Amino acid sequence: MPPRMSAHPAIAVSGLTKRYGTFVAVDGVGFDVRQGEAFGILGPNGAGKTTTLEMIEGLRRPDAGEVYVLGRPVWPDPRSVQQLIGVQLQSTTLFDKLTARELMELFARFYGRTDGRARADDTLALVGLEAKADAFAEDMSGGQQQRLAIALALVHDPEVVFLDEPTTGLDPQARRNLWDVIRRIRAAGKTVVLTTHYLEEAEQLCERVAIMDNAQVIALDTPAGLIASLGADARVSYVAGGEEQVLYAADAQHAVLTLLDEARTQGTAIENLSVRGPSLEDVFLRLTGREFRE
Amino acid sequence: MTLSRIAATTTAQLKMLFRRRITLFWSLVFPMILMTLLGLLFGRSIDAGTITVIDRAGTTQSQRLVAAVERTDGVSVKRDRTDPARAEQEVRDGDRDAVLLIRRAGGDQVEAQLFYSNASATQAGIIRAIVTGAADKVSIAASGGPPAVRTVAVSVDSAALDYIDFLLPGILALAIMISAVIGLSTVLVDWRKRGILRRLKLTPMPLWEFFVSRIAASLALAMLQVVVLIAFGAVVFGIEISPTAWAAIPVALAGALCFLAMGFCVGSLVAEPETADAVTNVITNPMMFLSGTFFPVAAMPAVVQTIAKVLPLYYMANGLRDAIVRDRGLLHVLPDIGILLAVTVALALVSLRTFKWE
Repeated sequence: MPPRMSAHPAIAVSGLTKRYGTFVAVDGVGFDVRQGEAFGILGPNGAGKTTTLEMIEGLRRPDAGEVYVLGRPVWPDPRSVQQLIGVQLQSTTLFDKLTARELMELFARFYGRTDGRARADDTLALVGLEAKADAFAEDMSGGQQQRLAIALALVHDPEVVFLDEPTTGLDPQARRNLWDVIRRIRAAGKTVVLTTHYLEEAEQLCERVAIMDNAQVIALDTPAGLIASLGADARVSYVAGGEEQVLYAADAQHAVLTLLDEARTQGTAIENLSVRGPSLEDVFLRLTGREFRE
Repeated sequence: MTLSRIAATTTAQLKMLFRRRITLFWSLVFPMILMTLLGLLFGRSIDAGTITVIDRAGTTQSQRLVAAVERTDGVSVKRDRTDPARAEQEVRDGDRDAVLLIRRAGGDQVEAQLFYSNASATQAGIIRAIVTGAADKVSIAASGGPPAVRTVAVSVDSAALDYIDFLLPGILALAIMISAVIGLSTVLVDWRKRGILRRLKLTPMPLWEFFVSRIAASLALAMLQVVVLIAFGAVVFGIEISPTAWAAIPVALAGALCFLAMGFCVGSLVAEPETADAVTNVITNPMMFLSGTFFPVAAMPAVVQTIAKVLPLYYMANGLRDAIVRDRGLLHVLPDIGILLAVTVALALVSLRTFKWE
């Protein structure tokens, strides 16, 4: 399916703020998501990712700021965008005692569709669950349940799909399967917005990434652009005198040679030397001064 | 579109309800087990039942008479200060087996009026024989002059029931209550806790439609309980089902609605499934014993009788009993239905105020 083009961005957010008492969960967040884009919101737990997402989806009313989905305001009446968006929430939200196909048909009904059977079969195939169509959700593995939750988000053929930490708690194999599912959703022309606290996931799946920390967006660019902003070609780490040292080098070869030269002349021992290309982890460290903990 | 969506959602709700084996256990199997056990224990009683004694004379002779009746085997005696007219009505309603009203008759003489149910010829014969026998003993002991006790036996057309006849509607009421309260409270808490309600909030379907479909499915379960448990009683215990039994359906529906509203109330107030279980037990267990489901309320202390009359289960059991075994039709059970629906409205209003999405 070709992406449906219009002048509006898929999502336009500005000045988005949510407070709980004196605690500010989201503080003046703003960004645009282009149509057909895969957009990641990356940050540690508690950074405000889910709250941001839920204000865009229409689940939580913002205290300030504006949200538009395909040019339509989400607030004050989120019902106006319900047909346009598909949402997979963080917790597993499936009914017991209904098969995958029955769940899909039921949700298709919720959206007023009468072609539930066809939508169920198509969408279950898209997420790779066609063999599980007659299984109960509670009998599926974690990864399968997550794929079913994503299929439910897609059943009414929405333009924009929200995935809130879709791979949290999954084993590496299930995570990779889910990445393939997300790539297929992209290939079907949907706009995908996902939150994650896995750096690798953001790098692998997203065209652009907003890094959130302490309720604010602290950087927004393509993964390559974010890494390039470090101005470094390599991350060199080693242990000297019992302490770990990290340095970012514009020229890896030169940096390593210099380091080894100095060590030889000074007679210090260099241990655990490693050189690798910089990653989003290094971007986060540079921006916040803290290690990113997954 | 809304109607077809509600129909489709109701179908899904029915699947969710009936595919859970525990639902079928609590709603159908457990009541059958309970009825069989109580039926075997108390079954068709052959003793003469209980004579309610209202002693308005308070003389030596009247006390001797009561003592003589009490000494006789095969009948138990309960002293009561109830209004005689009401007591007689209760015999008529089948809530009391017999009433012995003792009054002064002039001089030392007392008059003993016995109102007894003619529902069972055997029971009536035993009660009459016991009372007249006791009266004769007192008169002989007094000797000389006119007999000290004059007895008047009044046979009363009554709806007195065998225990098993009494039990069936009570068990049915209990089963409907448990299915409705537990069914809706635990599922509501579970849906909220697992974020299903929030997920539904994201769809264009209004949540009231979702609950209407759940209520429709639960009412279907209540109908099934009416049919299956009545059939069970008729087939296994040979209970004679009144032709008015169809009036049990509106009573059961009103009762189920009332207890669904109660379940919704609990589900709205409570956050954890375990708490919901505990709260429903605290509500339903005392109600089960205080509402005349297993034993007639009239045979219980006055305090219990008063409590029973503010409990909705009492009215459901009463209405079901009238319709299923007492041959009383819809008109007769309308007050019960009215009370159940009034409680439903009150509970629904409370739940709407306390309902939370998350």
